[in-house]
Amino acid sequence: MGKGGMSQGGDEKGEGEENMAAWLLGVNNLKIQPFILPPLGPYDVRVGMKAVGICGSDVHYLKVKLRCAHFIVKEPMVIGHECAGIIEEVGIEVKSLVPGDRVALEPGISCWRCQLCKEGRYNLCPDMKFFATPPVHGSLANQVVHPADLCFKLPDNVSLEEGAMCEPLSVGVHACRRANIGPESNVLIMGAGPIGLVTLLAARAFGAPRIVIVDVDDYRLSVAKDLGADGIVKVSTNTQDVAEEVVQIHKAMGDRVDVTFDCAGFDKTMSTALSATSAGGKVCLVGMGHNEMMVPLTPAAAREVDVVGVFRYKNTWPLCIELLRSGKIDVKPLITHRFGFSQQEVEEAFETSARGGTAIKVMFNL
Amino acid sequence: MGKGGNSEDVVADKEEVGEENMAAWLLGIKTLKIQPFILPPLGPNDVKVRIKAVGICGSDVHHFKTMRCANFIVKKPMVIGHECAGIIEEVGSEVKNVVVGDRVALEPGISCNRCSLCRNGQYNLCREMKFFGSPPTNGSLANQLPDNVSLEEGAMCEPLSVGIHACRRAQVGPETNVLIMGSGPIGLVTMLAARAFGAPRIVLVDVDDQRLAIAKELGADHVVRVSTNIQDLDEEVAIIQTAMVSAVDVSFDCVGFNKTMSTALNATRAGGKVCLVGLAQSEMTVPLTPAAAREVDIVGIFRYRNTWPLCLEFLRSGKIDVKPLITHRFSFSQKDIDEAFETSARGGNAIKVMFNL
Repeated sequence: MGKGGMSQGGDEKGEGEENMAAWLLGVNNLKIQPFILPPLGPYDVRVGMKAVGICGSDVHYLKVKLRCAHFIVKEPMVIGHECAGIIEEVGIEVKSLVPGDRVALEPGISCWRCQLCKEGRYNLCPDMKFFATPPVHGSLANQVVHPADLCFKLPDNVSLEEGAMCEPLSVGVHACRRANIGPESNVLIMGAGPIGLVTLLAARAFGAPRIVIVDVDDYRLSVAKDLGADGIVKVSTNTQDVAEEVVQIHKAMGDRVDVTFDCAGFDKTMSTALSATSAGGKVCLVGMGHNEMMVPLTPAAAREVDVVGVFRYKNTWPLCIELLRSGKIDVKPLITHRFGFSQQEVEEAFETSARGGTAIKVMFNL
Repeated sequence: MGKGGNSEDVVADKEEVGEENMAAWLLGIKTLKIQPFILPPLGPNDVKVRIKAVGICGSDVHHFKTMRCANFIVKKPMVIGHECAGIIEEVGSEVKNVVVGDRVALEPGISCNRCSLCRNGQYNLCREMKFFGSPPTNGSLANQLPDNVSLEEGAMCEPLSVGIHACRRAQVGPETNVLIMGSGPIGLVTMLAARAFGAPRIVLVDVDDQRLAIAKELGADHVVRVSTNIQDLDEEVAIIQTAMVSAVDVSFDCVGFNKTMSTALNATRAGGKVCLVGLAQSEMTVPLTPAAAREVDIVGIFRYRNTWPLCLEFLRSGKIDVKPLITHRFSFSQKDIDEAFETSARGGNAIKVMFNL
């Protein structure tokens, strides 16, 4: 179940090559090493990984004291969770998949026993086992073992890279569902990074008529414009500028701001979001910047602007795959850099991703 | 339409029927004076109401003390008060729902009914709202009282409406365990409303033992005494969660400080809601991200909408009893008005201060 382990002494798989993975051994210390797979359970499948994307959280674990929010890496851990591959073996009870099938993987295995799981809000399960969230190993590896029900078959016209993109795209899709995006929702997005951009694509697919996106970085704003944003606004990191930026945002929108997605998660972006959103609207906090935030909560609450939280996603893969199949969403422009699966390339890939700027989604091809 | 004016503006324009209409005018900071109040002409859809019961709200006290409340500023003399009930004395030519002699509770705010918010039913957010005792409108919407509901209870519909609207927005029901921060008038009406909406377990939190005792008498399942010290946050959250036994599904912050909001956010379960009712501070420093990452939503409320019929039904059926909240009564004289506002401003064991006219 994504557990597996490190091979200590000459413990190789039966069929030829050893399974290798990218292990996080310490701060700025990634090493490709053997990764022993757990036994295949009756409802599991073994997947040969083909495409794995790098997420901001992966970079955070690598760079920032092996932690991300309250998750702390205490032992070596395989990194990576945005992935797709080809089925190599299926457990005896698996009926929906056969070897050779191309699949995208949903990373998180929930318990299905707690109240939240039973209500369908399994993304909030306190016992969630999630690729590359300690202590669960990730999927930047030659192979992983995973429950079959979390592997979603890709249509012929959807590539493995697009399959791997389903994971970040799912964040945008889940956010749009929680914020009730539809043909009457004018959308504002704070931040034109990978998450802001998948939220832009998802919002458009959900029918949002007008989308304005803001960022501090001109290049990222130009990418947003190419991806179809109706308006872009360059903003600063200076809190004093909030009031003026809200004016510019309203001008760019030309209409009400019904829903704002804060895909950055700082005091300033949240304050701007709360101030810019129209009475009765929603602000969806997607980005996880700081823990404690200082924001003008009361004036927003007194205009019945609600704050909606988002944590990962639930039941999004089928929709993502359909949106990609039909062409309603095209994620391919977000993949800006590609690397192979070697020690040197793994290190370079993470540096590239950490740099930000022109690097949106960095993808491994295995 | 609630406009009317100061009798200095108009020359010798007195009512035809005997006595002059008098009102409590806010003339300046801590300066209330009973003076003549000229009524506007009766429109075809208007009624003239003889006011019998008026409660004092925290916002009235705030206007009294500072001549402002949030971004509402009192620039000219203004009649104070908005929680009211009375008896119909005259009806306009088009009025069909009430007759002379009817006892009615008044909903204070007249919305424009033209803007998109009004047309969407969110009329409480109307930007052109004319609201009793909110500048520049002098202290509507007359709802008939059932026979067994008193005029004082009619006046209580206004604060009770805040609790009702909050419970609706937070979707309180038979499966929602409720935490309420603050056991003042608003915390208490929210508790009464939450119980009426079926909340199985309600825990109230306050710094004041007296107010907690009142909450317990009014039916709180458990009360927790807390401090104003932010360092005590984690410990208090643990105590609250123990008191609730089961998870906290919905929290109402009826105070609106950093600490109360932080407590509410941390105490509420994943997937739950925090409703910010109290409007104390503008900028707040709160642990927003961990709450958002547990999909704890923050729901804001502003006043109420379409709540009078439900309030009156709850009072009629006895599902809600607001009478214990009325702790002090005063009459409509200059001396009593000054004393009433001092009493209300004092807080403590003064929950709702009511005028009987």
